[in-house]
Amino acid sequence: MRTAAELKYGEKGIINDIDGSHPSSRRILEVGFTPGQEIQLINMSAFRDPIAFSVRGTIIAIRKDEASCIKVL
Amino acid sequence: MITSTLEAEPLITLVGPPNSGKTTLFNYLSGKNYKTVNYPGATVEYSISKLQKKYNFEASILDSPGIISLIPNSPDEELSIDSLYSHPRFGIPDLIVVTIDASQLSRHLLLAKQLIDAKFNVVLVLTMTDILNRKGFDISLPDLTNELNCNVVKVDGRTGKGIDELIKVIEKNILNGRLKPRQNPIRQNGNIHFDKLIGYYKEIENIEDKVIFKSNKDANPSDLETANKKLNILNNPQARNNIGIDQTTLKVDKILLHKAWGLVLFFFIMSITFTSIFWLAQPLMELVDSAFGYLAYEATVLLGNNWFGNFIANGVISGTGAVLVFVPQIIILFLILGLLEDTGYLARGAMLIDRPLSKIGLNGRSFVPMLSGFACAIPAIMATRTIPNKRERLLTIFIIPLLSCSARLPVYALFLAFLFPMSKAWIAGLVLAGIYIFSTISATLIASLVNKFNNKIIKEVDNSSFILELPSYRIPKLKVVATNTYHSSMAYVKRAGSVILLLSIVIWFLTYFPDYNPQVNSSSMSQEQAEQLIGSERLSHSFAADLGKFIQPVMSPLGLDWRVGVSLIPTFAAREVFVSSLALIFKVTGDKSTLQTSIIREMRQATIAGTGKKLFTTATIIGLIIYFIFSLQCISTLAISRKETGSWRIPLIQLFVFTAAGYILSFVAVNGLRLIGIN
Repeated sequence: MRTAAELKYGEKGIINDIDGSHPSSRRILEVGFTPGQEIQLINMSAFRDPIAFSVRGTIIAIRKDEASCIKVL
Repeated sequence: MITSTLEAEPLITLVGPPNSGKTTLFNYLSGKNYKTVNYPGATVEYSISKLQKKYNFEASILDSPGIISLIPNSPDEELSIDSLYSHPRFGIPDLIVVTIDASQLSRHLLLAKQLIDAKFNVVLVLTMTDILNRKGFDISLPDLTNELNCNVVKVDGRTGKGIDELIKVIEKNILNGRLKPRQNPIRQNGNIHFDKLIGYYKEIENIEDKVIFKSNKDANPSDLETANKKLNILNNPQARNNIGIDQTTLKVDKILLHKAWGLVLFFFIMSITFTSIFWLAQPLMELVDSAFGYLAYEATVLLGNNWFGNFIANGVISGTGAVLVFVPQIIILFLILGLLEDTGYLARGAMLIDRPLSKIGLNGRSFVPMLSGFACAIPAIMATRTIPNKRERLLTIFIIPLLSCSARLPVYALFLAFLFPMSKAWIAGLVLAGIYIFSTISATLIASLVNKFNNKIIKEVDNSSFILELPSYRIPKLKVVATNTYHSSMAYVKRAGSVILLLSIVIWFLTYFPDYNPQVNSSSMSQEQAEQLIGSERLSHSFAADLGKFIQPVMSPLGLDWRVGVSLIPTFAAREVFVSSLALIFKVTGDKSTLQTSIIREMRQATIAGTGKKLFTTATIIGLIIYFIFSLQCISTLAISRKETGSWRIPLIQLFVFTAAGYILSFVAVNGLRLIGIN
């Protein structure tokens, strides 16, 4: 299974699971990345990290490391 | 004072996720008369106000930093959440008003749900329903009220429609709440279980499905979004009924967050910001400057050339005027920061610069505090509370005093006006921009040094994280930004004004007394020469001169004398006082020319006693600029650094290291310049 960090620019995915062992996982959930949600990688900073996803009608920027705890289908 | 009346009055606390329209609502409820601990960049502490009189209901309203959930993730969230349960100064709130962005319902309801479950007395305010409508959806208030079992009011942030109804609902809820025995709200456990959060979201999604419906009458049929939505539903049967993202925002982000150009545009926007501060303020500054010059002159004429007239003209008017001249620049700085914040761009700036900042031990979230540091280190240090990681937060606090704050502006402006006459004002502007860039680069270098050899200065280690919402772009609300700018500028004027007045009086006293009357044989010189001789004789017998003898050995290596040294002492209370102290020590007397011209004229004539060498030269002025760039000469900064870091270690290191660096680098610059023939 891929993680959100591996999505390509503009690619969509549906969240399958959040890896609870990551220290940021609780906040990731709280801002709206929950299983079943569709996300899309819509922006990247010039250094390709952090990356920004559309989720629940808004845009959230997170680091690649944090995106790796979001498992997508 | 306020606290005693508050005990009888109901307290309403405003809570809401960031970007949910909380501050706008606060401005509607409070009108203009709020006490604030806020500065542009971020709501870092709280604002307290009475409900506007026109609503005929007496209550206090508290605004605090935005939170996403009841489990804190950073010091500012912790502060906000603690104040919900019991504010350290104002006690337990009678009512909590939660702002919820209707177009972000599924995300923002999490906080509302948690608050209701914790048994708070809650009223919900739905904001930005216009955005929801534009996206082709509508929301049913009665259904939402039923589902949540609490009052819901729609408020339009642009027109204020709905506020009157909100007041009625608030009043009813508070009165009802007072009839019932008070229940203490339940604290959420910090280790809230994962499944419970997911459960919350499941519940919220169910509510959302029941209360949000498509409203085809408002939707534009040719709307791209509606088309996209249909496609989404066809392509992803699993995906829920998502409310799309603002299309304009997506388009603007394609440019401003472009993979290659984003960073270039970022630096371009930042440079425009800082240069415009200087260009825009110029005409206003000249106006203030000549007004004070005129006042000082009129005061001498009116009160005569005695100690009182001298005190009013030099001690009071020139002293305060020398600093108030810079208020236009400060207003413009606050205004631009507020506008940038309100458009939604600052969050993008933080994202763009997170990577480079994290390389030197900082965080993308350090960006806004650092930017505020160019206005004033005090709110900037407070704004670091939004940084969750303690180590990154301490390092940000550590370097903030190195960023060129607005109190240094008067000093630089004077020095640059000395170096570059009016005809070359544009060069002065460029050099000033250069000083800002230089101070930013040195701050970054010092951050990376401290980061490398971190263990001695900053010991904390924990998870580094960057999770930030990029809000939709919007036209800034001028009224809100203007009100905030007004409050911040007034705070600056009041703080600086009183300190400067007090110190000016002290300096004036030291330079005027013991009121020595020299006997000068003035037969062979003009009246002007005689006055000058008397002036310098008087000064060399003043208390200030006695004090100066101690400082002389420290100042000589920098090519300066005790008079500059005496002017530098009060800068530890406020840097900008340097200008008024100089004005006093060099006895700038009232004439019709502007204050700055008079100071510069006196500076050009000043010589070092005994040698006859010019005191202010290109070399010594550059040396002074360098000293001001590095040295930490601000008691308030030390105090806030102590408070926010929790010990004296960091503020003392800042004080000694930065001030020593300023002195040593100034010494190197002055003597280096002299070696290559620049005097």
